[in-house]
Amino acid sequence: MSSNRMRSLRRRWPLARWAVPLVLFAMLLPFLWLLQMSFKPTPLILEFPPRVFFMPTLEHYVGLWQAGFPESFLNSLVTSIVSTLLALVLGIPAAYALSRWTGRGRFGLGLGILLTRMAPPIAFTIPFFLAYRYLGLLDTRTGLILIYMTFNLPLVIWMMQPFFDAVPASLEEAALMDGAGYATVFMEIVMPVAAAGIAATAILCFLYAWNDFFFALILTRTDARTAPVAVVNFMNYEGWEWGKIAAGGSLVMAPVLVFSMLVRRYLVSGLTAGAVKG
Amino acid sequence: MSARGASYEAQRRRFVRLAMAPSLLFLLLVAGLPTVFLLVTSLTPGALVNPGSLGDFSEPLRNYRLLGSDERFVGSLGVQARLSVYTVVLQVLLGTGLALLVHSGQERWQSLRHLFVIPMVLPPIVVAVIWKLIYTPDISPIYQAARMLGVTLPALTTHVDFALWSIVIADTWEWAPFTFLMVLAALQTLPAEYVEAARMDGADAWRVFGHIVLPYIAPVLLVCTLFRLIDSIKAFPLIFLLTGGGPGSVTEVTNYYAYLVAFNFGELGYSSAITVVLLAATVLISWGAMRVSRHAGGAE
Repeated sequence: MSSNRMRSLRRRWPLARWAVPLVLFAMLLPFLWLLQMSFKPTPLILEFPPRVFFMPTLEHYVGLWQAGFPESFLNSLVTSIVSTLLALVLGIPAAYALSRWTGRGRFGLGLGILLTRMAPPIAFTIPFFLAYRYLGLLDTRTGLILIYMTFNLPLVIWMMQPFFDAVPASLEEAALMDGAGYATVFMEIVMPVAAAGIAATAILCFLYAWNDFFFALILTRTDARTAPVAVVNFMNYEGWEWGKIAAGGSLVMAPVLVFSMLVRRYLVSGLTAGAVKG
Repeated sequence: MSARGASYEAQRRRFVRLAMAPSLLFLLLVAGLPTVFLLVTSLTPGALVNPGSLGDFSEPLRNYRLLGSDERFVGSLGVQARLSVYTVVLQVLLGTGLALLVHSGQERWQSLRHLFVIPMVLPPIVVAVIWKLIYTPDISPIYQAARMLGVTLPALTTHVDFALWSIVIADTWEWAPFTFLMVLAALQTLPAEYVEAARMDGADAWRVFGHIVLPYIAPVLLVCTLFRLIDSIKAFPLIFLLTGGGPGSVTEVTNYYAYLVAFNFGELGYSSAITVVLLAATVLISWGAMRVSRHAGGAE
């Protein structure tokens, strides 16, 4: 809609041409505030008006390192990576099969998968909590990995389907004619073509598991506590350590920011569990 | 040839079965079985302090009968409805506005559009921490600025009148980018001829928007609304960190109430019944979303 009207608007209001970056800056201000705080020396954190230029310090990050944060960070990494790999190993063949499935019941299956993604986490948490208490899986990484599969496995199946749909069936048929088995065709012909899709799906799975707060809050205490829960725990003492909270928050969001920019094209279909093609 | 074709077909079927089976079994185990377990638990007076109570089916519908007379539950439905409506309406409006701004903005800002999605991809708990910083009077730059100007702002998250709005604002900030992303994608596929033709006929910007752009993006807006509606039922980290459901139960949505009943009061049976109600609502809206998004997809 950049018409004459817009142009005349810009002439009257010189700021209009800067509208996009200005709005963006205003919107990201809360986020930038947390980021700058994590690098601010403690005495300056409460200073107002805030200093824009200051000597950045890593004291809060060092403090985190000594406060047992690395263990939680490691727990987050392990549970996210393992649940992603497991979901990929189980989900990719299923997605391929579903993509080649001409039979009935696709809508039902699709709805089922969407529901698993959309169900309030507490619906899974109560049964899992009771089962884990019985099985001794509370506060273990294994327990978290299993429950992360409830959202990562459906995500893989649903995200990978369009990528397999795009692999022409004639390619497979030609290889079958040459006497290759289905498993060989799948591993050597289909998988390489879908590599980009697998990478994007893997990143989305990792992000979902990494971002989880609710499951980790309830199913872990100390041993398997993940980074998001650890950050919140810094708020439970007298005199909150805002520097550490900001540094912990920044560390938790760092991998997310990098990865989500890599998969920005697939964000929409990931968020809507494939019900909407982005 | 037909014999070989048949053997391919048999091979294909065997492969499909083999490829699907592990996933289906696993999903049944981690999603199907727990759902059944939840339904069963909701029929018991199960409490953590009383181990035998989880297998007590003497009065299976007791929990569901209690729901109707539980003022806190009924109240939480009202809070949930208000929170959902406020946040979804604001997000869709704001997200559409942002998308229109970026779409009609200058070419050189196009690459900035990726940065608009940052609030949405941040871990939800980090979003909650960010807003905790903003709403805590001791440290918030907003409160400090107000103090310098001689104005005393009320503590938003603990004030009966503002607590829900403090959640709404934070949630809108977090999720407006979702609508932004979807609407921007739709705007980029809007054929330029439509707009030009309308301009030639002398339509101004408002009429172009009302008669061409809005009908074009309407299905996308509907999908956004439904998906955000489903997600708003899950609202947790913001409420957990900012208000804890309070003051009183002003921000206690149903999901949060179910969490409290289960993991603070230890009443797992009753909490399961509340969760079943939430699940039913999710099923209904998801089914609608699925139907609608298929239609929206078919129209393209």
